[in-house]
Amino acid sequence: MNLLTKTFNSHRLQSIVLAVVVIATWEGACRVFAISSLVLPTPSAVAVKLVSLFVTGIIWSHLWATLIEIVAGFVFGVIAGLVIGAMISLIPVLERLVYPYLVALQTLPKVAIAPLFIIWFGYGLTSKIVITALVCFFPVLVAVIAGFHSTDVDQLDMMKAFGATKWQTLIRLRVPSALVLIFAGLEIAAVLAVIGAIVGEFVGAQVGLGYLVVTLNFGLDVPGVFAVLIVLSAIGLAMHGIMRIAARRYVFWIRRNEAPVLS
Amino acid sequence: MTKLAARLEDSAHAVSNAAAEQSDPALIRIAGLEKRFATRSGEVVRALSNVNLDVRENEFISVVGPSGCGKTTLLRILAGLEKASAGTVHSGGELITEPRPDAGVVFQQALLLPWDTVLTNVMLPAHLKKDKSAATIKRAEHLLAFMGLKDFAQKYPFELSGGMQQRVSICRALMREPKILLMDEPFGALDAMTREAMNMELMRVWSEERKTVIFITHSIPEAVLLGDRVVVMSPRPGRISEIVDVNLGRPRNLQTMGTARFGELCDHIRSIFGAESPMVPSL
Repeated sequence: MNLLTKTFNSHRLQSIVLAVVVIATWEGACRVFAISSLVLPTPSAVAVKLVSLFVTGIIWSHLWATLIEIVAGFVFGVIAGLVIGAMISLIPVLERLVYPYLVALQTLPKVAIAPLFIIWFGYGLTSKIVITALVCFFPVLVAVIAGFHSTDVDQLDMMKAFGATKWQTLIRLRVPSALVLIFAGLEIAAVLAVIGAIVGEFVGAQVGLGYLVVTLNFGLDVPGVFAVLIVLSAIGLAMHGIMRIAARRYVFWIRRNEAPVLS
Repeated sequence: MTKLAARLEDSAHAVSNAAAEQSDPALIRIAGLEKRFATRSGEVVRALSNVNLDVRENEFISVVGPSGCGKTTLLRILAGLEKASAGTVHSGGELITEPRPDAGVVFQQALLLPWDTVLTNVMLPAHLKKDKSAATIKRAEHLLAFMGLKDFAQKYPFELSGGMQQRVSICRALMREPKILLMDEPFGALDAMTREAMNMELMRVWSEERKTVIFITHSIPEAVLLGDRVVVMSPRPGRISEIVDVNLGRPRNLQTMGTARFGELCDHIRSIFGAESPMVPSL
């Protein structure tokens, strides 16, 4: 009995129960009110479509293309963000010179400039990788700069008092301090990477999950659209999860305060 | 006649002073020290004004005063973290302008590096001098054992209590066998019980590894319990009001705090504050 209440109280079980209730209500409502699958497909229809996408093998080429775009775009965007962020942090002149332009670049809606990238880099994967990288770049850049500025002033004094050189202070104090915010930036970039790749595919592509969504939508296959959306959100969750695990491993000294903010 | 006698006495005095300096030279000599800060509004604040103090080798000096009396500024100048606006600080005959290897600093917060283990934190001053020899590691382990932290060498700072973290920070300050230990309200953030335990611990360290200690505090009893002399400072501008000799025998312990002499010394120091400002500083 005690075990049962404990299990029920666990947050994981509660969220599963919530999902079951929502899906059951959705399924029931669709059937009772006889809603057209063109407007809102039943969860069961979506599930059937999802399975068939994998079984027939239609999805694989699209899935691979999108995964490559996401991972490659993320990696390039993060590397650029880390390198340029570090340069801006370490060379004060650069912050004054370059940073305003980077902010201006960020304010441009990526969807609006995506067509340009298709023109410049073609319909293939390259243009999507560039768009994804650009989307991932900024949060990492901001995180690196904020991270280097977040070094505790008292810790800096401590290092100085023990005779640390500037270089030693950088390696032993500033970089590890910056990691905390950098990992927060990576978490955001990981989720944005999925959006970046799909935006690129929407604008112009011959393969990819974004392309598949557009095609299915065109064919009025709404359950198919839903099925692909589920795959996309699974990718996003996986990317985010990997970053969370990495953060827990590499910035282990930060213990998240799990208590509610207003308690 | 009387003039001559006075002059003779004067010169005799000067001779005896010189003799005293010869036999017991000051390790740290603070002369005419002044520190001015410009505030945001452009006002100039005098954090320290005409501070003069000679500290003998192996002497334990407590510095006590209310907030804003410049005691932390004084310590930061001694640590070479801040430059004086006027006046000089000599340590072992050398002018202090930057952090020196012969001084270990303990800050109000433990300021350990959270990503390093306790042992690595204690090793930091040695690492900064690229010294990773076995003897150095032995020294760090010895210090940790001495402070009762033997079993915590491989733990991380966040796994330790506040008192233990501050002990690690003391080990770190002692790591390179400094001549001078500079302590800026090191136990201010600890609860009263831990604080008393740490005071006892510090006296044990001091009796074992004789050091010259400058100990900043805002607690009068703590200042009296630990110090050979108590430097009493007052704010606006930060200056030395009086230097009180603590003529209490050693070793001292918590019972010392119950003696009449101890109470008198505390009362005397409190009266200095009372005489100078209507606000009685809280302990």
